Amino acid sequence: MNDRAKAAPTPAGSLNSDPALGADMRTAIERFLIEYARCLDEDRLEAWPDFFLADACYQVLSRENVEHGLPAPIIYHYSRGMIEDRVTSLRDALTYEPVYTRHMVSNVYVVGVEAGVYRVTSNYAVYHTTVEGRTDLYSVGRYDDAIVVRDGQLKFKTRTVIADTFAIKNNMALPL
Amino acid sequence: MTEANGAAAVPGENFTRVPFALFSDPATFARERDALFRGPTWNYLGLAVEIPNPGDYLLGYVGDVQVVVNRTPAGGIAAFENSCAHRGAQLVRRTRGNAAQHAHTCPYHQWRFDTAGALLSVPQEHGVKGKGGMPVDFDKRRHGLRTLRVETYKGLIFGTFAPEVPSLYDYLGPKIRPEIDRIFDRPVVVLGHWRQAIPANWKLYLENVKDPYHASLLHLYHTTFGIYRATMSGRVIMDDTCGHSVLRTADIGENPTEMKALYKDIDKYRPDYKLKDPSLFDTKPDYDDRVTNMIMTVFPNLMLGQVASTFQTRHVRPKGVDSFELYWTYLGFASDDAAAREGRLRQANFVGPAGYISLEDGEAGRLVQRGTHGLNDRASVVEMGGHGAIADQDTLATEVAVRGFWKRYHELMRAAV
Repeated sequence: MNDRAKAAPTPAGSLNSDPALGADMRTAIERFLIEYARCLDEDRLEAWPDFFLADACYQVLSRENVEHGLPAPIIYHYSRGMIEDRVTSLRDALTYEPVYTRHMVSNVYVVGVEAGVYRVTSNYAVYHTTVEGRTDLYSVGRYDDAIVVRDGQLKFKTRTVIADTFAIKNNMALPL
Repeated sequence: MTEANGAAAVPGENFTRVPFALFSDPATFARERDALFRGPTWNYLGLAVEIPNPGDYLLGYVGDVQVVVNRTPAGGIAAFENSCAHRGAQLVRRTRGNAAQHAHTCPYHQWRFDTAGALLSVPQEHGVKGKGGMPVDFDKRRHGLRTLRVETYKGLIFGTFAPEVPSLYDYLGPKIRPEIDRIFDRPVVVLGHWRQAIPANWKLYLENVKDPYHASLLHLYHTTFGIYRATMSGRVIMDDTCGHSVLRTADIGENPTEMKALYKDIDKYRPDYKLKDPSLFDTKPDYDDRVTNMIMTVFPNLMLGQVASTFQTRHVRPKGVDSFELYWTYLGFASDDAAAREGRLRQANFVGPAGYISLEDGEAGRLVQRGTHGLNDRASVVEMGGHGAIADQDTLATEVAVRGFWKRYHELMRAAV
């Protein structure tokens, strides 16, 4: 057996370098991903569901499970209602460590577009900083997104987070 | 109570006082390796269904020692330390797989072992060009990998380093086996694994799962949506050693007025709280016993749990005195139809690293590790449920199983001195 760690394959496609994508659309997608990160890092959780369609699916998966073809998700919110429920829980119910978050999003790559659905991948690194100012790398991994334009605004149809850091640092209360 | 002059901390007053030092003392952690994990205990290694075919293997842990668990050509299960018999190098590097030709080859000097741990070959054993090589009295039969005794019960694989420990069947005993039977009497499938790197001593997680008192208070989600409330019918049982335990909650005998009075001043209960999308609760019960929550522990560090329609093993893997991995194996049943399977994936939102209920248990560990740090002259107070006999109780307002854990822990730690 090849001893090299198996790669979780990124979706195949190359619209990224295709002039048909259009500079405006590329800029809009990158801006959308940055706005999502800013929303979370500025603790505007109530606005987080606005990035999703009503029937959107937000998932966090362990890279270990993805590579072994195992379906158990870490987070599986299959409607915007469930995404809103997580916000309510985070604000009113759940006990978790208070931290500042910092999302770094890079390597944005537009894989393709089909029937108005843009398939986009990007890398992320999320740092957590404690109330005493100590910073740790919390999670690195990849976003696999399906993005659509709805009423002139970009929205996630699906956002799938595949965490390389599948030994989760303590727990995962806040979304990635 | 912590003894003066720096002697090892010992739980005192009939196991109602647990010295904080037990969660941060490096010498205690080192002793646990020999007294508990290499002592007279059976340690969970994995599930038989994870290594169905000859040559299949997975990596498990006994305490903080990595072991390889193999399906042998004859269909049996063998386990050995993941450490080459030559110079100790890690032998197997992937967490699971199938061993080609039923052999593991050490990456360092290519010593080759079969899946039962016997040494098959040593490159240059007889030297090169008539020089060097192993001495003539080198006997490969005496240099196999260090193996564990392995037994299974209903597809759960356990191993032990101790020759004198009784059979696994007897170790589990008549009060624990029925909980395993309830879940494992039909074929299970593994839906995935989760890992949490929790910044706490491993014993704090054992305390947590043996403490039904916290579950109705820390976990609002539990309480508000009726998976677990202090007013439900509940029972805490232990085996004869008090080291294993079962906490069981059933949706029986609740009185809404009593519920309201009990949670009057507790903002963790929110009857006004409604989910925008409650569809994840739409699962059919798997049993007709109305059990909504069950957590069983096998001493020292395995849990088998049910939360609503989810079933999991949770293995506590110490990584140091102040850190452990919580390794989850998330289960379904082979008989699940598409709707049942989807329901289990939806209810993954309850458990695991991000689960509405389970994520708070990681935080509980962090809180106690942080809060007890540096306070080696103090001990926790474990008196909910009384300070008398350590025995089964028909209530959830109790910490008696926590005392049971410390009783068994202390017996083994003392015996190993």
